[in-house]
Amino acid sequence: MLDREGGWSVSFAGCGFLGVYHIGAATCLQERAPHVIRDARHIYGASAGALAGAVLVGGGSLAQACADVLALAKEARKRNLGPLHPSFNVIKIIRDGLMRNLPENTHQLSSGRLCISLTRVSDGKNALISNFNSKEEVIQALICSSFVPIYCGLIPPSFRGVRYVDGGISDNLPHYECKNTITVSPFAGECDICPKGKSANFHEMNVTNTSIQFSLGNLYRLTQALFPPEPKVLGEICEQGYLDALKFLKENGILNDSIYIHLPFTKKTPHEAAQQHLDHVKRRKLTENNGVETLKMTSLNDQLKQNPWPLEKSIFESLPPRLRKALQEACKEQNGFYAQFSKLFPMRVISYLMLPYTLPVESAYSVALRLVNWFPDMPADVRWMQEQLFQIAATVYAQAKSKLFCTARKDNYASLRKCQTVPSTVEFRSSYCHLKMPHSAAHIESWLWESSCFMQSAMKNAPADIQEQSDLKSYPNFLPNPDESALEIDVDSSSETSFQTAPEY
Amino acid sequence: MAGAAAVALSLAALPATATAAPPPLSAADHRAAAMAEEEAPSEGFGWLFSWLPAWCPTSLLHLKEAEDKMLKCIASIYNKRYVYISNGNKIWTLTFSPDLSNKTPLVLLHGFGGGVGLWALNFEDLCENRTVHAFDLLGFGRSSRPHFDTDAREAENQFVESIEEWRKEVGLENMILLGHNLGGFLAAAYSLKYPSRVKHLILVEPWGFPERPDNAEHERPIPIWIKALGAILSPFNPLAGLRIAGPFGLSLVQRLRPDFKRKYSSMFDDNTVAEYIYHCNVQSPSGETAFKNMTIPYGWAKRPMLQRISQMDQDIPITVVYGARSCIDGNSGSTIQSLRPNSYVKTIAILGAGHYVYADQPEDFNEKVKDICDSVD
Repeated sequence: MLDREGGWSVSFAGCGFLGVYHIGAATCLQERAPHVIRDARHIYGASAGALAGAVLVGGGSLAQACADVLALAKEARKRNLGPLHPSFNVIKIIRDGLMRNLPENTHQLSSGRLCISLTRVSDGKNALISNFNSKEEVIQALICSSFVPIYCGLIPPSFRGVRYVDGGISDNLPHYECKNTITVSPFAGECDICPKGKSANFHEMNVTNTSIQFSLGNLYRLTQALFPPEPKVLGEICEQGYLDALKFLKENGILNDSIYIHLPFTKKTPHEAAQQHLDHVKRRKLTENNGVETLKMTSLNDQLKQNPWPLEKSIFESLPPRLRKALQEACKEQNGFYAQFSKLFPMRVISYLMLPYTLPVESAYSVALRLVNWFPDMPADVRWMQEQLFQIAATVYAQAKSKLFCTARKDNYASLRKCQTVPSTVEFRSSYCHLKMPHSAAHIESWLWESSCFMQSAMKNAPADIQEQSDLKSYPNFLPNPDESALEIDVDSSSETSFQTAPEY
Repeated sequence: MAGAAAVALSLAALPATATAAPPPLSAADHRAAAMAEEEAPSEGFGWLFSWLPAWCPTSLLHLKEAEDKMLKCIASIYNKRYVYISNGNKIWTLTFSPDLSNKTPLVLLHGFGGGVGLWALNFEDLCENRTVHAFDLLGFGRSSRPHFDTDAREAENQFVESIEEWRKEVGLENMILLGHNLGGFLAAAYSLKYPSRVKHLILVEPWGFPERPDNAEHERPIPIWIKALGAILSPFNPLAGLRIAGPFGLSLVQRLRPDFKRKYSSMFDDNTVAEYIYHCNVQSPSGETAFKNMTIPYGWAKRPMLQRISQMDQDIPITVVYGARSCIDGNSGSTIQSLRPNSYVKTIAILGAGHYVYADQPEDFNEKVKDICDSVD
């Protein structure tokens, strides 16, 4: 798998809250086969995958990142409307988390290695960013890559003056086609590291390079991507990622149990590291002396001592200690009286009933808060919005003008016809040709898709066509010889397009 | 050539009303008819199917054009024809390098929803020094689409018998049988029934080998509404949505499977592959229904092959080829090995390839298959 000469890359798929899967997988790669990440040419990522990749190569702590994602999920679940509640500001939470987690020299560590997939707003094309000048730039690129339009906000963030949104919209799994790319995706499908579902279905769909098998499990995962499940379920997804990565390492013979090194750039207090090292040595001695069973017993005992809390013990057992601790902390229920009280069924019903009254107040408060936060970016955003408005206005104006011009021209013809002075070769519009073509159901789809994809062209064509057809109906007996009119059509249609494309203002 | 077919048919006093179902012909006529390339699309499907094309813009002629486009880039010498088998069915067959008769020919069986055209990236390499036959399975592609029995065992038997009759008609003594997906399952079923005809069995990403696992306790619980959705959809044919989509079907294929375009991008830079797949699958579903009847939800075989593979003739060597990224489990190979301790079983993983191994990494795949064939003779 790992070709020394050709080099290899790792690519993480974008997946929203399922990003904990990447954290599990990345932890496994980092701890069980550190060279896979260390010697990789590039780490690609889109959206949540980019966040995981940035933490992985940029010197952040994966356990901390995991705790952050779970905290974000809890925040999203706290309110009745979930992540759609106006006071849930996902971008701000992600930014703060990254600021805390990534070290100051993260741009030096990740430049040239981390490639973040972004979608340019202006043309919808994909861009891969891999060089960064400062920590802020890394974080800004990550924010751009995670910005799901509408879900995260309305004004897309900018990176070096260009507006970008979620990389998953154009390329969710960069460099998927390369043979030497290790692809990681939380959706069951055609990836190197992905969950293997219990469905044997080979039908799948392919969404911007991510293959997603048609299965119930994947449908459930898709719903979880933006609307997070309970922390415990996310923890299980994280564990799944760890196990799938381990399976991948085993199957490809990369796993080497003698290598058990904590990478130097993982954030960790010296005390903790020493403790862990001691633990490790102690455990190894135990295994040598008393066999595997004793090890299991002691580790279980250790665990019992460390975590006196009510969740099943077996649940995150396979994960390394730090990650396990982070997950277990996050899954801990709040024990306070208020937390217990507010979870009672009547209280929840009441809170839903109160929604029409509480929501406006909360919305107003969060809008005010956002406005304050928005002040620094305001001039740039306002300028951008102005530009967009101007563009829209200009296109509308151009269209309206050309349409008016067309009808005016037709009126001229109509009056000419009444005077009986029309030349034998009448200029007829190109829609005349369309009319002669057989209209079948096959054309419906091209109409519809085009209209959804290219709003602009649809806006140009559709009204004009309708109008022209009605025009033709009103003069049904005036169909000239098609051979003669065919000559004219080209000239006319080209002139028409020139009217439409040239902005006239 | 179409004229020759017509002559052959009229010699046998074919009733004009027969719906693409020539009665059994004498051996000589059979040969003549088989050599002819019949182009006329079959007619008389009944009112329902005569209405269908209005909604789904497809026909056998569309399929033929799409296939011609798929095969346009192939420089090797080949002939194409219908091979007539019993019950008036015909099997659309491509034969590459027909003159190299000194070596065991390689026979390619395509997978579910496919056709001969999907091997476009493989023909040229594979036919370099041996004859390669590829045919559309009964009920798929341009072959006849008869009614299959609803019983899984019977349907499987119908497939296997069609392969055997095809072999007799083409006149092969034995062959190297290569099957992908459903083709892999059928190739194994064929080898169980007619072991003397198979020199080597190559299973590429075979479908239907493992049993459905019973214990699902360790799986994460799935919400009721998703389960209900699954239960509602499960009675339908796997590709029913494509036919329901009608005129939107083609763009549905393009949107859901843009990867096919990339897989074949070395050959075509337009939507040729999507068109071919679309026209293969929106015709009346016959093989698809048979496949549906051979499965239990979701995607598992009713009669899994691993239960039976140990009964296979010990002398047949088996090679399992799978894509490292595929979602079909690759360890069927090791299970087959453990079930046939005294036989040759080899597993080859192709890196960077998904389920469509032969299109994802054609060079690697062709090389591996050629090595296997060379090991035979």
